[in-house]
Amino acid sequence: MSGAVLVVGELREGRLVPSVTEAVGAARAISGPGTPIVGFVAGPSTDAATKEFGRLGVPDVRTASDPRFDRAPVSALAAFVAQAAGDAGADLVLVPGTTFGRDLVGRLGIRWNAAAVTGVTEVQRADGAWQVRRPIFGGRATETRRLDGARAVVGLRPHAYAPPPDAPVDVRSTAVAPREPPANLWVPKRVAEEPVASGSGPSLTDASIVVSGGRGLRAPENFHLVDELAASLGAAVGASRAVTDAGWRPSSLQVGQTGKAVSPQLYLAVGISGAIQHIVGMVSSRVIVAINSDATAPIFKVADYGVVGDLFQIVPALTAEIRRVRSA
Amino acid sequence: MEIVVCIKPVPEPETRLRAAPDGRILDPEGVKYVLTGYDESAVEQALLLKESVPGSKVRAVSFGPSPRAEETLRAAVALGCDSATWIDSGAEPSPDPVDVARALAGTLRSLPHDLVLCGKQAGDDEAGLVAGALGELLGVPDFGYVVDLRWDAARSVFTFHRMTETLQESWEAPGPLVIGLQQAWNDPRTAKLPAILKSRKAPIDKVPVPAPDAHASRSRATTFALPPPRAGAKLIEYKTPEEAAERLVKVLREEAKVFP
Ligand SMILES: Cc1cc2nc3c(=O)[nH]c(=O)nc-3n(C[C@H](O)[C@H](O)[C@H](O)COP(=O)(O)OP(=O)(O)OC[C@H]3O[C@@H](n4cnc5c(N)ncnc54)[C@H](O)[C@@H]3O)c2cc1C
Repeated sequence: MSGAVLVVGELREGRLVPSVTEAVGAARAISGPGTPIVGFVAGPSTDAATKEFGRLGVPDVRTASDPRFDRAPVSALAAFVAQAAGDAGADLVLVPGTTFGRDLVGRLGIRWNAAAVTGVTEVQRADGAWQVRRPIFGGRATETRRLDGARAVVGLRPHAYAPPPDAPVDVRSTAVAPREPPANLWVPKRVAEEPVASGSGPSLTDASIVVSGGRGLRAPENFHLVDELAASLGAAVGASRAVTDAGWRPSSLQVGQTGKAVSPQLYLAVGISGAIQHIVGMVSSRVIVAINSDATAPIFKVADYGVVGDLFQIVPALTAEIRRVRSA
Repeated sequence: MEIVVCIKPVPEPETRLRAAPDGRILDPEGVKYVLTGYDESAVEQALLLKESVPGSKVRAVSFGPSPRAEETLRAAVALGCDSATWIDSGAEPSPDPVDVARALAGTLRSLPHDLVLCGKQAGDDEAGLVAGALGELLGVPDFGYVVDLRWDAARSVFTFHRMTETLQESWEAPGPLVIGLQQAWNDPRTAKLPAILKSRKAPIDKVPVPAPDAHASRSRATTFALPPPRAGAKLIEYKTPEEAAERLVKVLREEAKVFP
């Protein structure tokens, strides 16, 4: 049956972002041993990323090296991905679960005449078609969708698949040359950018561990307890809206319905009550831990493990214990 | 400025979810469909722009079955949208969002638009596919995850921010443009009672859904499932904070296997 699987790369400071590595892991996990896995990457310089694909065992990388991709919108990029997918003889394109990836899927679906889905946690071949599972309603339900037709574009959810082990191979890179996308797609300009405040750890949506703090911390000067716990775990810091609305932490750290949706391996909620608007942003985390002094707080209904107690005592002890076992 | 805002009727957030008898989709029986989340922000954003750019008009467009699509459109009119277009989806209860974009594009081609606003994603299926597909179909750029969209009249460009994993980006682009909105610069307003009453009689332009393209690849829902109910947290028993910490770390390592 099947053609190649194309994995769409995304660069951050010249390197592939973690979600792309996961997409390569997904490609391996879902395709048979004979299925070619092909990489795609666009950017001002694609050499380093091409090598990274090689390190992950992807021998064939399609590249669009063009200075315009430093600041170009996704809209102009879709034509290049579609061309690469066609050149590679792909019937499936896997797109990383990032903001870039989310923006690409719908456009690519039309461009490449493929069925398109996002936020996917599981891909399978069943009865001659791709079938996907995805959480909906903020993780309160899941749906299975069947992708009819010869081609599919699948946007993955972060952390749905594990990165593959390194399996270095020699890489061959081939330039992609589609018909030039219409000029108006190149016109929007990124005029500035600044780093989103994310503390010193990994970014909230990339991180495999997230520690979030809520109003239970009482005052901004206590939030360092959360920062330190996160640092001991190499985790990203998040917050409830109570915290971001009060200005204790920037809104870029807000988890929930009107903030970011995260699905790390481990989510620690510290002094967060578990309002439904917060829950929908973190309920699909693999393991949830809550620390709260109120045993009836709704957060304990979604948590896997709970400590009922005063965070001002529990959190420092936990940070110390983690430091201890980590250095042991 | 001609602004079109695309809105989807979505089950209200408190809805108790359960599968329809055929097991494919959410059971719509007894569910109230409303304007929610990002779509509410998109309407708010459209109205803010209208108020800041003299001579602007906002048209709300919705794809969906009766009566939920009309009701959602009336809610948008009550908030201040000038006109409304309903694409009658007929009976199809759970279309592919890309097909929805195809229907929207068909309608938008005959409506003036300098700006097409959508919510970043719908509150139910959370697909976030419409803005991108619509941009490609209309041949214009699109952006998701947009906050703080403004019109710079002196330079005739939209300016906006996007939050990515690590950056807050600032962009400029002339229209026409499709935007998947994350957040407007104000919280969504609520409608006043007289406006709600008046919206009940507002004219709604009805257009038929175009025949689906038989050759298009598409996805269709095959099962709708609820996760097994969470058992509730396993509580750590302890006498001292140190003991709580030690036991928690132990279960995270040995039982949950999430910790180093
Ligand atoms: C339209 C809308 C959108 C929203 N979007 C979001 C969103 O995206 N994200 C979000 O988070 N919220 C959102 N909210 C707000 C949400 O409803 C809650 O108000 C908010 O999540 C509460 O934050 P919190 O849990 O930090 O505070 P609280 O609800 O005040 O909870 C504080 C918790 O700390 C505990 N506590 C107090 N002292 C201690 C102590 N010493 N030790 C341990 N525990 C302690 C308390 O028992 C309590 O459970 C939204 C609301 C609306 C209406």
